[in-house]
Amino acid sequence: MKTIVLGIGNLILGDDGVGIHVANELKNHINDPSITIDEAITGGMNLLDLILGYDKAIIIDAVKSNTGEHGTVKRIPIGNFNTMHSCNPHDVSLMEAIQMAKKMGETRIPKEIIIIGIMMKTIPCEFGEQLSTDIQKAVPEAIQLTLNEIKKKMKNTQ
Amino acid sequence: MKQVTIDPITRLEGHGKINIFLDDKGNVANTYLQIPELRGFERFSQGRRAEDMPQITSRICGVCPVAHHFAATKALDAAFNTEPPSAAKKLRELMYVGYYIYDHILHFYYLGGPDFVVGPDAPPGKRNVLGVIEKAGVEIGKEVIKHRAYGQRITAILGGKATHPVCGLPGGVSKGLNKEEVKEIQEKVTSCIDFAKFSLKLFDDIVLQNKDYVNLILSDPYTLKTYNMGMVDKNNKVNFYDGQIRITDQEGNEHDKFEGNQYYDKIVEHVEEWSYIKFPYLKDIGWKGMKDGKDSGIYRVGPLGRLNAAEGMATPLADKEYKRFYETLGGKSVNSTLAFHWARLIELLYATERADELIKDSEITSKKVRNPVGEPGEGIGVVEAARGTLYHHYKLDKDGLIDKANLIVATTNNAGAINMSIRDAAKGVIKNGNVDNTTLNMVEMAFRAYDPCFACATHTLPGGMPLEINIYDHQRNLYKTLKQHL
Repeated sequence: MKTIVLGIGNLILGDDGVGIHVANELKNHINDPSITIDEAITGGMNLLDLILGYDKAIIIDAVKSNTGEHGTVKRIPIGNFNTMHSCNPHDVSLMEAIQMAKKMGETRIPKEIIIIGIMMKTIPCEFGEQLSTDIQKAVPEAIQLTLNEIKKKMKNTQ
Repeated sequence: MKQVTIDPITRLEGHGKINIFLDDKGNVANTYLQIPELRGFERFSQGRRAEDMPQITSRICGVCPVAHHFAATKALDAAFNTEPPSAAKKLRELMYVGYYIYDHILHFYYLGGPDFVVGPDAPPGKRNVLGVIEKAGVEIGKEVIKHRAYGQRITAILGGKATHPVCGLPGGVSKGLNKEEVKEIQEKVTSCIDFAKFSLKLFDDIVLQNKDYVNLILSDPYTLKTYNMGMVDKNNKVNFYDGQIRITDQEGNEHDKFEGNQYYDKIVEHVEEWSYIKFPYLKDIGWKGMKDGKDSGIYRVGPLGRLNAAEGMATPLADKEYKRFYETLGGKSVNSTLAFHWARLIELLYATERADELIKDSEITSKKVRNPVGEPGEGIGVVEAARGTLYHHYKLDKDGLIDKANLIVATTNNAGAINMSIRDAAKGVIKNGNVDNTTLNMVEMAFRAYDPCFACATHTLPGGMPLEINIYDHQRNLYKTLKQHL
């Protein structure tokens, strides 16, 4: 069973880069050849390309909350997003990309796709490389949730 | 009625917003488009090593990393007083047209196309790429995915990484092409040419053969008579990577032509207090408010702006389509906003043909891909991003660190025109306070044609592209809100 852990974000857009900060930290915790840790600054179809061929994908990313939550971390199976959009107006969302790929007969889509979402009430709009204090505090929990998610998989397959 | 002196809209954070104000009869009085803009770039850049700019700026936006990469690289060529060898220029351009191939395919089939292929009055749930495939067939869906991936692959071979290229260096590129890579690119390019021809045929069958659609394209609410801006080669043919900037007027006459590094003598940015995004206009014509016509300095960029600003395409098949475009839509300039979609497909065909010329060029496997750099100074780099003209301007200190950086991005160039197109479309379709999903989609179609880029928060799930449309009555009370992706 092959798993990919993918940190998503933009390292020059402050808190938006949190997924990548978490993924980089995870490299110190994981040493297992069946687990790939990578980072990406993309979404939609490009993101789908990156996770094809894995059994499970864990995607760590900033998630815009509708309820004002800020700095909390949530495990969200991909099917639970009632709205999910592309990373940009010029692409489709990951869900649309998956639907489309299924329609085209793609067989390499991971069976399980889990988002580890760091909730944010505002979308970062200012250039910077640092995480804010609130979001920095969320990093250890995001790491822990991701590690739990990986362990879960081990249990199921052993 | 109480006199309202301050617009009740504040600058927005995070998501695009269209505010529509109705008069006492329920017709549209005015509209305001608000686009979030990333802030603090100049401060962020200060003190960084100039040679890092192609990598840094390619992260500004998940949409056009390749465009930022090469605008930055070209600015560095100038700032370090160097000129790439001819082979390096060709490699850069080949990669650049690869980016156009995937980007234009994506826009036509996924974003703009659904309005036409599925129909502007189709329910929102059907107006997406899946609706397109339902109508056009699964086989076509496979071709779309395949050729988009081919474009990505071409840029990845040349750029080192598909999404964020690492190849551009002042004075050239970091690597050339070997024979196997040439073979792979050639195969993909050949297939892409056929796919581009097919896409134009599809547009012909579905849109141009439908009288209602042609009338819609040519209708008043979707017509805007602005100046046009685009890059041209020495024969005034469209070029994406290099050339002079040409401005044409509403009838297609040349108004101005200049080197990209004179942009600050030619363009001024107007500031509106309700908008983060600035509104550039032609300095010699001047700012006359949100108006089109000869006296207003507002111009358009992007596929339609480029075709209008040029006198043809530099490759044979695309040039034939270019002529047909003007014959069909009533000569120069074409001022129909919805014609952006057709123009985009003509550019797709050009990109594939140009890629074919470049990959067949004997110099493309040359090992001489870089020239030495000189002393650091000031440099301006200009390219045509898929969405329009993109300017990067850097001032370096004596150690080669960034002292000042200024960018004018494609969507900013189009900001005034987009705002007006939304207003005109809204005036055309919203009558007597009747607003429904179809009318709003008709408003959005005006907006979508430009393929505007909200670079902001490009990577935040669930998404960075939510759009909110607020409609206010004549007393400026909120009458209706439609939210998309919020």
